[in-house]
Amino acid sequence: MMKYYKLILILPFLGLLVSCSDDFLDRPPQSNIIPEEYLWEESELAAYSIEQYSLFPSHGQWSFGTFGIDAHTDNMAAMWSDDKYVPGQWKVPQSGGSWSFDNIYNINYFLNTVVPRWENNEISGNQSGIEHSIGEMYFFRGWEYFNKVQALGDFPIVKTILRDDEPELTDASERNPRSEVVRFIISDLDSAATLMSNTSPDGNKNRLARSSALLVKSRVALYEATWLKNFKNTAFVPNGPGWPGKEKDYNQNFQYEAGSIDAEIDWLLGQAMEAAMEVADAFPLTPNNGVLQQSISDQDNPYFNMFSDIDMSGYDEVLLWRDYDQGMGITHNVPVYAQLGNDGIGLTKGLVESFLMENGLPIYAANSGYEGDDYISDVRKNRDGRLWLFLKEPGQKNILYESDLGDHGTAIEPIPDITNSSAEQGYSTGYTIRKGLNYDEAQTGNGQGSTGSIIFRGTEAYLNYIEACYEKNGSLDGKAGQYWRDIRNRANVNPDYQATIAATNMQIEAQGDWGAYSAGQIIDPFLYNIRRERRNELMAEGLREMDLKRWRSMDQLIAEPYHIEGFKIWGPMQEWYENENLVYDSGSANVSSPNRSSYLRPYEKTGNELVYDGYSWAMAHYLQPIAMQHFLITSQNNDVNTSPIYQNPGWPTAANQGAE
Amino acid sequence: MRTCMLILFGWLACNGIYANDTGNSNDSSLQLTVKGQVVSEIDKLPWAGVTVLIKGTNNGAVTDFDGNYEIEVSGPDAILVFSYVGYKTQEIPVMGQNIINVSLEEDQGFLDEVVVVGFGTQKKINLTGAVTMVDAETFESRPVQNAAQMLQGVVGGLNITQSAGSLEDRPSINIRGVTTIGSGSTGSPLVLIDGMQGDLNAINPQDIESVSVLKDVAAASIYGSRAAFGVILITTKTGKTGAPSVTYSNSFRSASPINVPNMMDSYTFATFFNDANVNGGNSPFFNEARLNRIRDYQDGTITESIIANPNNPDRWADGYGEGNANVDWYDALYRDQSFSQEHNFSLRGGSDAITYYVSGNYLDQDGLMQFNRDEFNRYTTTVKINATITDWLSLNVSNRFIREDFGRPSQLSGGLYQNLARQGWPVLPLYDPNGNLYSSPSPALGIRDGGRDKSQKDWLYQQAQVVITPLDGWEIFGEFNYRTRNDFRHWDTLQTFNHDVDGNPYVYNRGSHVHEEAFRENYFNTNIYTKYNMTLNEDHNFGFMLGFQSELNKYRNLSAQREGVMVPSSPVLNTTSGVDSNGEIVAPSVSGEYQNWATAGYFSRLNYNYKERYLFEANLRYDGTSRFRSDKRWQWFPSLSAGWNIAKEPFWESISNDIHMLKIRGSWGELGNQNTSNWYPTYVTMPVGTANGNWLVNGTRPNTSNAPGLVSQSLTWERVQSWDVGLDISVFGNRLSSSFDYFTRYTSDMVGPAPELPVILGTDVPNANNTDLKTYGFEVSLSWKDRLKNGFGYGIDIMLSDSQSEITRYPNPTNSLDTYRENNKIGQIWGYETKGIAQSDAQMEEYLSSLANGGQNALGSQWAAGDIMYTDLNNDGKIDSGSWTQDDPGDRRVIGNNTARFPFSATLSADWKGFDMRAFFQGVMKRDYYQGSSYFWGAYSWGMWWSTGLKEHEDYFRADADHALGQNLDSYYPRPLFNGKNQQAQTRYLQDASYVRLKNLQIGYTLPIEFTEKIGISKLRFYLAGENLWTSTNLSGIFDPETIGGGTNEGGSPNGNAYPLSRTISTGLNVNF
Repeated sequence: MMKYYKLILILPFLGLLVSCSDDFLDRPPQSNIIPEEYLWEESELAAYSIEQYSLFPSHGQWSFGTFGIDAHTDNMAAMWSDDKYVPGQWKVPQSGGSWSFDNIYNINYFLNTVVPRWENNEISGNQSGIEHSIGEMYFFRGWEYFNKVQALGDFPIVKTILRDDEPELTDASERNPRSEVVRFIISDLDSAATLMSNTSPDGNKNRLARSSALLVKSRVALYEATWLKNFKNTAFVPNGPGWPGKEKDYNQNFQYEAGSIDAEIDWLLGQAMEAAMEVADAFPLTPNNGVLQQSISDQDNPYFNMFSDIDMSGYDEVLLWRDYDQGMGITHNVPVYAQLGNDGIGLTKGLVESFLMENGLPIYAANSGYEGDDYISDVRKNRDGRLWLFLKEPGQKNILYESDLGDHGTAIEPIPDITNSSAEQGYSTGYTIRKGLNYDEAQTGNGQGSTGSIIFRGTEAYLNYIEACYEKNGSLDGKAGQYWRDIRNRANVNPDYQATIAATNMQIEAQGDWGAYSAGQIIDPFLYNIRRERRNELMAEGLREMDLKRWRSMDQLIAEPYHIEGFKIWGPMQEWYENENLVYDSGSANVSSPNRSSYLRPYEKTGNELVYDGYSWAMAHYLQPIAMQHFLITSQNNDVNTSPIYQNPGWPTAANQGAE
Repeated sequence: MRTCMLILFGWLACNGIYANDTGNSNDSSLQLTVKGQVVSEIDKLPWAGVTVLIKGTNNGAVTDFDGNYEIEVSGPDAILVFSYVGYKTQEIPVMGQNIINVSLEEDQGFLDEVVVVGFGTQKKINLTGAVTMVDAETFESRPVQNAAQMLQGVVGGLNITQSAGSLEDRPSINIRGVTTIGSGSTGSPLVLIDGMQGDLNAINPQDIESVSVLKDVAAASIYGSRAAFGVILITTKTGKTGAPSVTYSNSFRSASPINVPNMMDSYTFATFFNDANVNGGNSPFFNEARLNRIRDYQDGTITESIIANPNNPDRWADGYGEGNANVDWYDALYRDQSFSQEHNFSLRGGSDAITYYVSGNYLDQDGLMQFNRDEFNRYTTTVKINATITDWLSLNVSNRFIREDFGRPSQLSGGLYQNLARQGWPVLPLYDPNGNLYSSPSPALGIRDGGRDKSQKDWLYQQAQVVITPLDGWEIFGEFNYRTRNDFRHWDTLQTFNHDVDGNPYVYNRGSHVHEEAFRENYFNTNIYTKYNMTLNEDHNFGFMLGFQSELNKYRNLSAQREGVMVPSSPVLNTTSGVDSNGEIVAPSVSGEYQNWATAGYFSRLNYNYKERYLFEANLRYDGTSRFRSDKRWQWFPSLSAGWNIAKEPFWESISNDIHMLKIRGSWGELGNQNTSNWYPTYVTMPVGTANGNWLVNGTRPNTSNAPGLVSQSLTWERVQSWDVGLDISVFGNRLSSSFDYFTRYTSDMVGPAPELPVILGTDVPNANNTDLKTYGFEVSLSWKDRLKNGFGYGIDIMLSDSQSEITRYPNPTNSLDTYRENNKIGQIWGYETKGIAQSDAQMEEYLSSLANGGQNALGSQWAAGDIMYTDLNNDGKIDSGSWTQDDPGDRRVIGNNTARFPFSATLSADWKGFDMRAFFQGVMKRDYYQGSSYFWGAYSWGMWWSTGLKEHEDYFRADADHALGQNLDSYYPRPLFNGKNQQAQTRYLQDASYVRLKNLQIGYTLPIEFTEKIGISKLRFYLAGENLWTSTNLSGIFDPETIGGGTNEGGSPNGNAYPLSRTISTGLNVNF
């Protein structure tokens, strides 16, 4: 019986252990923040908005950074050609592509959450700091939508967080005509310009300010105005003949907000001018003293250094730049590539020849003083100060300040290694740029570069104003003329642009510059010289493809393919390679044949190249295709015609097929 | 099965030897020699190989060819135990006799064998669930790192995969194939060590007494929601009443890597890459001058492996641009031999009231890395004490400590394997011409000088069990288990130095820092349960159990990192400067978090059998977990199983001499799986980061945050149902036994990858319980064990299993081939059919012209000799992938399935006159594999920097009769190209990854007992063992069939290039005192 007494004592004890309240199983996360607790304070807003800066293109590892974005245009050529110039090779993808909304979701989450709190004065912190972050987010929504318009044209406008409900999402997938999207972008950029401070709150121009919003606004408005103008009466503009948006009920009643496409263009140009002027007037050009530094005793040239300085905050015309730091591991490899072959991205003969002479004349003009292109040194002589400054020439010094901290420098610019097919060592065209080069050897550790990366600079506003003004009025107003002269003066080119226009032969220009055309037609010399200025000033700054598309400057390639050429290899410069065994007219050729051209044709060596017969084009390539999966997932019974999404002009609604 | 019989043996022996031992010693008594003959009861013929043991000792003898034995006993009251497999064990008191003759009769009741099941043991004959048990022999003399590796292939349906061979790689384990494809949930089996959740990889294998694998839900369900995909029950050795018994064993091992890829020589490599460049329309990468240098270096006419940098003559040139060495980086980085050793000691004994078991184990294992060691040390100690306090109360306590030390070069990480061949071009020099290690870049310098990564993991298991027996047949158990795990990890990155042309060092890798992290896990588990067994009318046997279980796991970690190692020889946080190599102050990075989860469950079990003929068991469990919200938290899980032992039927008696057991059993059960990878799957959290932004503002890294994803708060349990039918049979005195199981397991309401929605949603679709899976297969085992009359004993064990899985519900409305589709098997490989490699341009042109609607344009352009011709399966005049959906797959079809089918093993064992031999083969009978990585293709679609040049790639198409490597029209590989048009998944390059491998072979010799007992040793065995000795497979020589799925991910699938497995030869001894 003893046992049972003990048992009775034990049982309640067991019962105590067994009785388990639900509290024991309530275990919310202890080391995370829940959404309801966040975005109530200025610094939290800033943490969110600064994270969006990754949307900007900037320098990165193992590429030539923003200086290499223009590869695959008529300005620059990489080691390998791009399939977009081979109709049929660019195909409708199965999934993915630019039809994506992740960034938009991210931004809308912020605006949907923060704006009501801000309107109710519920967010703590400095009011201008709060407004600045909100302004930044409006800016980024505009920025992201601008990317979408460039890639795809018509695109759904989403301002809220959508529910994960298939019918609702399918309905929301309706594409807004591009003009509506652009109006939406401009409205977001206006909000951004209103909310953001006049100067970057960090004081170093590492964050956006009102001026950046206005610059982008002028870029967007000019983009859309010239697009509408050049593509008018095609399927590429809303209500144009064959515009695929018309197939869908929801776009039947589309009207331009300004009433007509011409009124819309006019309105856009006005917006572009107004925004550009405010920026241009506030940001003087960084001076160019005409010095190409080749020894420590040479004077610094701010215009040169602006593109490769460690700290860019002191340059007048820089609106926004990205800062890097070796110690924090935020680095890039642009300085190393700048020391040698620009990561295999060379300047084309077309770009080099488009630069004027110092005296403002085109190189072919009588008495221009052009010394020819037998040697790279000749090409530079008496030319536009920008070409003279930025075109690299063998024998020039690339390092002035020696350091043990870098081992990938190239102290003296060598003879371009055109037979080396490694992008790291090779030269694709023989012409390379000095823009982005830093003379400090400490920047030449492999992958250890910490020079800044310019996101926006004020000169673009000058150029936007000039072009918008001419497109709007057919002539330049006083302000535009002054801006242009400012740019030419800074470039050490005769500021008399009328003399240049008078000496311009469009037939010759058209051989090397796609921008000489719009819609397959050669344009007038006045407009051409505005485009030439833009091409030269913004060389290797990543805007060329955008410009070529809005100008509709590739139509002529359809009939007559364009041959990318570099320097004059089959002139006296061939002697540079006497020991190199130049091979041509063979399957293992390392240079192009003299029978094809005296100039190096990087994509016409072995005969196996897809663009051996030159860059061609298809109209559809002005916009990207939408991937197949997006149609299927918004369709009934996999019948893509039931999808609210329509394909872009010229692209099939079938995966892995090229444009018509 | 054989292993189960050994358990029987062990069990009988234990009972027999120890049961009546009073602990008295007979030392003072007279020594006595007993002789005799053992014969068979049936035919009266002499019987060799019968074990004769003196009860209460390990001393014994074995009968010779004529059945004779002779044994020294310590006194007249000793008891002799005669035993032989399948026959009744006899105990005969000596009582002063000098001659004892014995006749052995077949054992009809031998199936008293027991297996360990949930919260107890059960007679095997009464088992109704799918349970397999293996014993300590599995873990004997295996020269591998951990118990999981020793279990590989041993148990049907227990799939253990070691997909990489480094000292820190742990095998992955599942029971019965694909368990869950739930995104965010895992389906590993629950591992219980003496009733407490533990780590199979971190236990002293020599402590293991037995391992039970509970495979179906009915067997596992008593453990509830953590056991949804089976349980591995490890029972460790405990003290035994009797004189102290000491065991010591050791092993000394030498390991060498197997199936390491061989790289091309430098000239072949350069030619191969040049061909790939030229084929793709680019210029050759290696120019004539460099090719000459490469050739001259190979010929020995020049000795300099690289030239000075033409642009910077003080320094050596970049290896890719100018190197002309000839290095096989695998040879350079892996050692040929590495040494390891293991020592194990144990002591067990005890009195009636208290028994004890004490053990210690030390493993010192070296890895295969050259230049800077990777090494692993494990120390374990165990103390177990079982005390009977009164006749109704006993107390069992155990304490187990495990420490693992692991060290490796900091730069020996996943990236190293990914890059070894693709970045380790053979032309890169290992040493510069002055003889200094030169990174140009290449990995050796960083491995040697770039710092160490060291970690120490401690596990402390403390367990106490109180057993109260208020009445006969009624027991109450209280188990209190506590585990702490403490991990510390340190790594340092140090500056490395290359040397310039004059031999002066200069900094190559500038950054240096020290990182420290610590992790602690406190795990507390209570099991309280009670059992009652009763028998009615001698025929109706009942068992009841009722219990409660709870678990609480608390986890925290801390880490800190600071830049600037001041003294490379002592890299600790205190001696870092906080300043980077540019002299800038960098804020140290720190982190720390707390996490926890808990479960609770009530369980009950009812067993019933009628005369051990009709068997029945039912379980019911009610489980809750902290991972779901309170309204979705609790769930009931039932299971039922039943069996019919036909051999116990009266009508069976006539043949029951030959067939002792013939049992049919079946089970059904349901469980929930709460093993979500995220411990808080229903909570939305804000992704925030501290000072981790990449966009510097004011020169500092900003804080970051992003939008939270969508989360479904209605997430709840995944449900697992399993059906199992089984057959157990045992014939010829248990010499032949076999077991068969067929199972079907439904995993339903899996936390599925989100249903595809229009991407305008802008974020990942929240997971939901929306996916069902069915897995089915079988396990069959066959065991034969016999001892011939001449004493030669031998055994064969064969195990074969299979599982396949089919998706039965999945949110993929378009049937896209990118993800799972309903009514499809898991592991399908979609691809094209290869027609062949075009031998000439004309042949290709002719073929393309036969495809009127676009040829092969969808896959690429510029088709020529040496390219693949794909078959137009759908006869639409073009080769493409259609809409990439199942309904419109274009010219693709299912060309194979990468599920490892029919894993099997065979163990052959034999012993004779003290010699023993055991060979363990293991393999997979059928497995397709599509390896589309750069390691398979050589010249790869991602371009030159993602391409490799291995020996196998030399067999590529070369049309040119004057080619430097010779013409090769009948090649395996197409012409090399840095694009993917020839690299579509296709039949020609489908790999057959089936294999058979001699996993372990051991030969031992046990000295005769008469000899060893003179020096006070009851058993002394020497052995020689080998691991991974022989492999047969049709797989490409680049890969190992076990690690083909290892390595870093390349474009969504692993590249198969991982740390190699090793072939290990070991020798050592086991000694019992």
